[in-house]
Amino acid sequence: MDFMRMLRGVAALAVTAGLVTAGGMAVAEDWAQIEADAKTEGALLVYSTTSRTAKAAEAFSADTGIAVEVVRLGEQDLIQRAYQEAAAGVRDVDMIVAEDWVAARELLSNTGYFVNYVPPTARELFPERHQDPLVLGFINRVFGYNTDKHPDADPFVSVWDLTTEDYRGRVMIRDVAITGEHQNAFTEWVRRSDELAADYEARFGKPLEMTEANAGLEFIKRFLQNDAIIMTSDTKISEAIGAPGQDNPPYGMFYVYSKHRDVPLQDLRLKDSRQISPTLGYYYPIVLQLSANAEHPNAAKMFMEYLGTLEGFAPWADSPGVYSPNPNQVPFDGDMPFAWWEERMWGYDLDFAAENRGIVLDTWLKYAQR
Amino acid sequence: MRTAFNRFRLKMTPQRVLSVLFLVVLGYLVIVPLFLMLRETFIVHPLERFQIPGAKIGDWTWAHWQRNFLSDNAYAFFYKPLLNTLKIALGLSLLALVIGGALAWLVVRTDLPMKGFIANAAIIPYIMPSWTLALAWITLFKNQRIGGDQGIFTALTGIATPDWFAYGLFPIIITLSLHYFPFGFMLIGGALRNIDAQLEESAELLGASRPTILRRVVIPLVLPAIFSTFLLTFSRGLGTFGTPAFLGGPVREFVLSTSLYANLIGQRPGIGYLAAVVMILLGVLVLYMDHKIIGTRRSFVTISGKGARAGLVALGRWRWPLAVLVLGFIVAVIVVPLCALVIDTVMLRPGIYAWENFTLHYWIGDASLTVGLGTGEPGILRNSQLMSALRNTMVLAVVVALITGILGILVGYAIVRMRGSWVSQALDQMSFMPYLMPSIALGAIFLAMFAVPRGPIPSLHGTFWLLVIVCTVSYLPYAVKAGVSAIRQIGPELEEAAVMVGASWWTRMRRILIPVQKSTYFSGMLLPFISVTRELSLLILLVTPATQVATTITLRYTDRGWYPYTNGMVLLLVVIVVGSTILSRRLMGTSIAKGLGG
Repeated sequence: MDFMRMLRGVAALAVTAGLVTAGGMAVAEDWAQIEADAKTEGALLVYSTTSRTAKAAEAFSADTGIAVEVVRLGEQDLIQRAYQEAAAGVRDVDMIVAEDWVAARELLSNTGYFVNYVPPTARELFPERHQDPLVLGFINRVFGYNTDKHPDADPFVSVWDLTTEDYRGRVMIRDVAITGEHQNAFTEWVRRSDELAADYEARFGKPLEMTEANAGLEFIKRFLQNDAIIMTSDTKISEAIGAPGQDNPPYGMFYVYSKHRDVPLQDLRLKDSRQISPTLGYYYPIVLQLSANAEHPNAAKMFMEYLGTLEGFAPWADSPGVYSPNPNQVPFDGDMPFAWWEERMWGYDLDFAAENRGIVLDTWLKYAQR
Repeated sequence: MRTAFNRFRLKMTPQRVLSVLFLVVLGYLVIVPLFLMLRETFIVHPLERFQIPGAKIGDWTWAHWQRNFLSDNAYAFFYKPLLNTLKIALGLSLLALVIGGALAWLVVRTDLPMKGFIANAAIIPYIMPSWTLALAWITLFKNQRIGGDQGIFTALTGIATPDWFAYGLFPIIITLSLHYFPFGFMLIGGALRNIDAQLEESAELLGASRPTILRRVVIPLVLPAIFSTFLLTFSRGLGTFGTPAFLGGPVREFVLSTSLYANLIGQRPGIGYLAAVVMILLGVLVLYMDHKIIGTRRSFVTISGKGARAGLVALGRWRWPLAVLVLGFIVAVIVVPLCALVIDTVMLRPGIYAWENFTLHYWIGDASLTVGLGTGEPGILRNSQLMSALRNTMVLAVVVALITGILGILVGYAIVRMRGSWVSQALDQMSFMPYLMPSIALGAIFLAMFAVPRGPIPSLHGTFWLLVIVCTVSYLPYAVKAGVSAIRQIGPELEEAAVMVGASWWTRMRRILIPVQKSTYFSGMLLPFISVTRELSLLILLVTPATQVATTITLRYTDRGWYPYTNGMVLLLVVIVVGSTILSRRLMGTSIAKGLGG
């Protein structure tokens, strides 16, 4: 079975093909021609991690007459499925709306199965760093507390507070073991270990003493040894923190900020920290990619273009915590623009994350099990 | 030359032909995936290469095995989760045996009132997703540790539940055993039904007390059913993920399946599949024990199977107290969770239990962005996508049930008639193997196997038939168990007599083997039928927009926290499955108990 070798051969070939197309596209692109071709191609198939893509697709179809089928898959299911299908030469899916780009890049982009494409609106308006990979939007994740318990002030000063006795057995986080983006986010804590250690010293006036290799892993250890509560759902975390009438409510780490949409609806006493140092949480991109073998490439390009416009982004714009790279997008009422978050929050470095997330996961698994 | 040909012809008995055929087909559908999974544990995958110095993608490596079994952190990575897994699997199967066995005895052997209702209700926990019970447990018993609203128990009594009671192994075992006790109920119930009453009567004449009769006569006779229950529930306990993750996380007790999921999500399939391999090996071990311990005894239950129907034990003054107890149990673990689901679907805003909040919007409402959760989706019954997914589920379930049912008879026939040969054993064990494979892994492997044409097999990618094949393989174990037990009850002399008068194999099948045990075969189709309706992880990688099934399409609602839709779909499935079970029982005289080989 020379499956792997064959696979690598195919991959190499596809990479070359991808590069050629990418180069070609940058030079000259006749958008009118793409639109004309798109109408003759027929129904488009999209795999998406976010169910709102289906909503956008409906509006897009109504506008253009191009039918779009959306299959909703979990992050890893999407990567697994797109990868296995591409490896087998199946040409079903035309584009993906993916998360966990660290993993997806390894399996889908580096193999040449999927290529980046920058449609006109994105090329014109998006900051260049959000064009490759093309970003549909950013999601942010935050630290939060109960405002009945802390009516006047944000209780957090430093992330290291969460490792102190005051927070023992009171901090909730979605299981890092089953959350790829958490694993990516913690690699940034490893990469910026010095900043993290400096933050400890600034907070407690003494240097950080470590048994782990760096401050990022040291944090994971101390955080878990401080009896952190591991949950499986962000919804449950935000509701647990914010439910009214609690004597001793828990705190949340890294839950999605978009859950704040439910604050008025469910009368939650929930607020996110706007001062915790050195990062208010983390953000990560939802990425759009085109199949290198797409049967409906022009229709896919048109849909990608549409998702970059304000109209196309509308299904995501109805809650806080999701941000289009399109600078004309007005933030959700009460939310800050992405640029504000970007200044105060860490993202992560793709290469470093790929190399180190295994170490992060292992450190987590090692201390999570008591 | 002629004699050689004759010898060859003599060897070509139907059971031999069938055996060879099934060995080949099962070999491809069961052994190849197993082999592929095992192979993955020796390969360096893209994101794994960074932790293995000098490794390139696709290299062969021992690193995953070394990490899991021998590294400094092996205890946290593997042995502790293994220990927790074993505790859960053991606890759950024992409890499921006790609950299921007690209920079965009451329903089959006593004069307990309302038996029909109890027998129908007792299968519902298996139809409902297992997370409904886990969720119910948390709602009832949670304490301050996980915040939010008070648990109902604490709210009523003012007593705070201790952590070990609210989270971790204890509730995991309780809720899972409440989900799987129907296996024990069905299997042991079937076995009890077959006991010859004369045996008990003789014991009674000899002066044995009731406990002695139970201990010395009844329990030994149902031992095979007890072991089958143990095997089925224990294996499920090894692989289950949702409930342990949900209830174990708050007190940080993890299991082997956590390792499987964590590493698949971490894009380290080599390490992840290793956990799957261990689960399979543990299952094989239990399967082996099962064969060793009761392999010889299995037949003797059925020999006496056609004896006089046992008289019912009169419960006397215990009759009504026990009935109340059983009903209380059914209300607690079946009616209450079901009602909770119903209530969720008729509350406009979740959690506000007031009359003005009552609505049928999520069932029959128009699409609206302003009413209730503002989903912009039409109500379930008017939602064409949901309805067509539900239709796909039903078609898939019926097709799979028919195919597994027929295969169950044929494989069962081959196993029983070839008894004593290695072929029979190989078929028996191979057909059980899919039960032990974590479905998340099986789905991925089948995707890879069938996406391209291989030899005579065309690419089945994106077709409905791929879903059929995957489900058939996955639920074959149930049907084969039913087939084996059915054929075993038919003495070979019936067939031999037919051979003497010149009946062909096909005639014998048609006129003897199928009619005699008709109801058992149909029963063997019920479990695959039920299981297909609730399958998610096996199918998620394989469905396309045209072949969406109820569970996969429901994801998009769960995703956004639109639980009225999720729960409504669960309810529809429960209604359909219970309805068809009752219907088939009326039409065919089937019972799920026979289906499990009891």
